[in-house]
Amino acid sequence: MAPGKNITLKSSDGEEFAIEETVAMESQTIRHMIEDDCAESSIPVPNVTAKILSKVIEYCKKHVEFAATKPTDEELKSWDTEFIKVDLNTLYDLILAANYLNVKGLLDLTCETVANMIKGKNPEEIRKRFNIKNDFTPEEEADIRRENQWAFE
Amino acid sequence: MESPSPSFTDLPSDIHLNILSFLPPSSISAVACTSRRFSPLPTSPSLWLAMCDRRWGRFTSPGSWAAPNCGSASRRLYNALDKWENLMGFWRRIGHGHGSGGAHAARYPLVFFEWNENSITGFRVSPCNEPGSYDVVKSPFVSLGMSKDGETVCYRWFEEGESETDLGLDPIAVNVSFVGPNHLVVEEGNRGFGSEIEENLEVQLGIQSSSPPDQATLEMYQYFANLTSPSGEKGFRKQKRREKGRRKSLFETEHFVKIGQYCPSSFRPLQGLWKGISENRSLEFYLVAYDDLGGITCRHISNPGSQFSGYSPLFWSPNADFLIPPFSKEELDIYTSRVHTGDFNLNNYDFEGRLVSRILCINSSYNLVIPDLVEGHNGNLRDVEGRIWEYDDGSFGFGFVRDDFVIDLKRVAFEGRILDSVQTKFANL
Repeated sequence: MAPGKNITLKSSDGEEFAIEETVAMESQTIRHMIEDDCAESSIPVPNVTAKILSKVIEYCKKHVEFAATKPTDEELKSWDTEFIKVDLNTLYDLILAANYLNVKGLLDLTCETVANMIKGKNPEEIRKRFNIKNDFTPEEEADIRRENQWAFE
Repeated sequence: MESPSPSFTDLPSDIHLNILSFLPPSSISAVACTSRRFSPLPTSPSLWLAMCDRRWGRFTSPGSWAAPNCGSASRRLYNALDKWENLMGFWRRIGHGHGSGGAHAARYPLVFFEWNENSITGFRVSPCNEPGSYDVVKSPFVSLGMSKDGETVCYRWFEEGESETDLGLDPIAVNVSFVGPNHLVVEEGNRGFGSEIEENLEVQLGIQSSSPPDQATLEMYQYFANLTSPSGEKGFRKQKRREKGRRKSLFETEHFVKIGQYCPSSFRPLQGLWKGISENRSLEFYLVAYDDLGGITCRHISNPGSQFSGYSPLFWSPNADFLIPPFSKEELDIYTSRVHTGDFNLNNYDFEGRLVSRILCINSSYNLVIPDLVEGHNGNLRDVEGRIWEYDDGSFGFGFVRDDFVIDLKRVAFEGRILDSVQTKFANL
């Protein structure tokens, strides 16, 4: 593995991204491919579109930079907070991409962001926000509320 | 044309687990009430384990605490750890003083709790006896964990001679409970961990730092008063105590109060639990705390029954206004030619050539006494003055104008572990 070498990632919709190997290695999935010598000139990333892939690459680039500059916790958190200000559908796509590409920091960041949207809400508010269909019968709903009563005190 | 994004429900289960692991139990219940897909959540062992890992995975291995096959055991583990994380750090024994007998460690009033892989252990902590040594003796005191059936269990070790009954080396089951967040009780019984005393306290306990003795005494009286009230659980306990009364008690109940901050912070560089070699070459512990008015107080932690009954103020200052260089000739005269007590030590901690970066004026506790009555001091206030010398590496030492020593201080603990520790027997926890 020569330092400063470039890796090309190809999104599901055919766009190519040339990035430094160190940035690519933020993804454990790609890291294993490189280490096992399965990486050809261009690595396809079939489930991730160009829009999402460029966002993931932006995250990886910045965090490789952070490893060198060692910012304060506030600086890091501030950048992450700005970065993750996206709509809910993009957030889901980022979660799935981070999961597939195994970028732990991004996966935790995106999941925690969704968790913060759930925190403090009652069931009806959660259903509205996340488009969850209430498929309980009235009896079932009463039962489940009773079972979880302790949580509402 | 892009395919539509997934809805929350369509995300894979392991991603749900990842998202939900960040949430408190009340939110889990709320999600469970949204639809059939999520109704099994509150009984899912893997979810509760993921929540434990998220909060405490850095300190311990939640998966190894108990066989987490059933959801309720994992949930009990979460609830137990939620309460027990408050144990971490130093606690100071208060009350009527310890019983007779017992080794040196059992008399010293400090206990320190730390995480293990599958339990939490509290150690009795005391300064090492060897003159000039900075070592800290750790002796296992109590251990908290989970049984195979997912119940909390608490055990206590005994030193030789600590109890009149010969208890041997194996720990016995005890009750450990919180009386409010900063007050801990260790007593006979085998109910493991409980905190039902809390709701009966009339006084709301919002104390963050270690409470002064009178506040803690009030809590203790409340605690014992609740034990004799006729209603429900307390009545049951009263009956048990009557039954127990026929058998000789194995050990005295001990009460502990939490020591608020045992490490310095950037805004409070003097704060914390420190150790230093005193003028008579023994290692002593000192607790420095800041109060709400910006003043600082240093207390010497020692055995009850010694000259300074356990928690006496050693020095204090009404503010933290340091003097900065250039220092006056008078200040330099006070500092130079002092002997650093750390130089007595067996190991080679190098205090030579430390630059003094700041100086703080302090007063010793004798200042609170009528000067005429203090032996040898004829009302000369210089005799109660002292200084803190902060060094350029952030550490500091203190001394009094009346003598020629500098007691340089080191941290007792750092990041959840005791430094320079020497553990007595029972190495197998």
